[in-house]
Amino acid sequence: MQQSMEIANSSVMWVIASLVIGIVIFQSVKFIQLASKASIDVGMSKKEVRSALKTGAIAAIGPSIAIVIVAISLIAFLGNPLTLLRIGVIGSAPIESVGASFAAEASGASLGGEGYNEMVITAIVWTLCLGGMGWLLFTALFTKSLDNMEKKINKGKKGKQIMGVVATAAIVAAFGNLVSAELIRGLAPVVVAVVAATTMITATKLSERFQVSWLREWSLGLSILISLCFGYFFI
Amino acid sequence: MNAEQVSNIDTENTKQPTNTSTLTMDAYHIKAHFWGRLTIWAVIALTLFLPLYLSFGLGYHPGWTVILNALAAYAGVIAVVWVLEPVMYFPILGVSGTYISFLTGNIGNMCLPSAAAAQHAVGAEPGTKKGELTATLGIGAASLVNKVILIPIILAGSFVISNIPEHLEGIFPLILPAIFGAVLAQFAIKKPIYGVIALIIGLTINLTALPIYLKSLSCIVLTVFICLQLEKYKEKKQTQQ
Repeated sequence: MQQSMEIANSSVMWVIASLVIGIVIFQSVKFIQLASKASIDVGMSKKEVRSALKTGAIAAIGPSIAIVIVAISLIAFLGNPLTLLRIGVIGSAPIESVGASFAAEASGASLGGEGYNEMVITAIVWTLCLGGMGWLLFTALFTKSLDNMEKKINKGKKGKQIMGVVATAAIVAAFGNLVSAELIRGLAPVVVAVVAATTMITATKLSERFQVSWLREWSLGLSILISLCFGYFFI
Repeated sequence: MNAEQVSNIDTENTKQPTNTSTLTMDAYHIKAHFWGRLTIWAVIALTLFLPLYLSFGLGYHPGWTVILNALAAYAGVIAVVWVLEPVMYFPILGVSGTYISFLTGNIGNMCLPSAAAAQHAVGAEPGTKKGELTATLGIGAASLVNKVILIPIILAGSFVISNIPEHLEGIFPLILPAIFGAVLAQFAIKKPIYGVIALIIGLTINLTALPIYLKSLSCIVLTVFICLQLEKYKEKKQTQQ
């Protein structure tokens, strides 16, 4: 166990993890720059660009804290750099822990248990890195085809209208499914989801009536905070 | 006089933006494909190098049988999602949103809510050009915030987790229903009927024993189909009147 953690926290791991996180940060900055430049072409004001950035940033605080807390549970057997590498790019803590335990099992060991040596760690690195690569390969290879397909559909006025309905219905459906999976788990999630939804509707209506844009930017953050306060009494 | 001159210059500058400071939407997409692919291929190369180095540079190779067995089991869980997620979220995320989201990860719980919140704040419709740029700005900012929170906490690691008061830990599982409930409501305000349809289908599907990735897919396909039919029906009614 000790030797395997030495490998897991070795300098090579740190270098690769830092480089990957560096690329992710660079990409975000690059796309923000590109989108800001293109925003003028679609008639977005500077104020709208700033508002979009601010709102995205605020909305990410709650989820990021939740993600990090689950991720910390991985450090115990993956070490810090590998955890950073796996959580910092596509993948999520629960899925990565499934992959890690499959790899340990295939090596005839258990995560952090007996026989957890350098080879087991290497098997885990192989499995998690190749596993996460599936999304990256598909995105790198086929985003352009998806784009061309959408552009073809979007050509006619009718197509544009249909794409609008499809996009809206798809996002509503994605969240309808996500929230349903939580709702069937018990009373506390139901209370939290209902309070969060009510807060969101109230905040949106208020911000529309009194023209306060900060309320719109904070609406998701507020909904999470208020609903969690209610949820606290139901656990 | 001076002030007038300054304001004249200002209006000139905003009226005639130089070629380097603006991008047409087509030029934007070309650049987005270029940088998106470059960054993703770079990460693919780095994440391939790491296991190769451990196996053959340091000599800890566990054997291909072990790797393939583990990978086959893992792929059995996630392989379908590799294809489904990029395809089904594409209409919402657009080109640049797809590149950022699938590199930074946490799509359902972070990228989509951030994109949705940003579109909501600006008043942009998903599936339009403005919607795509707004989503990209929102997800880009979200990804940066995510890294700013992630890096120090992972570095501080186990110290942080052992110092969180126990009575607060019970709240963590409730963060997801809070996010999802709020975002669903946010969209249901504009199209309440879509929300009702999605929720009914979502609840029904989640009570069945379908695997997770099929749940999301069937909910999206069914909801989109019903909403399209609904819009068609509405249009027909309007033209008849």
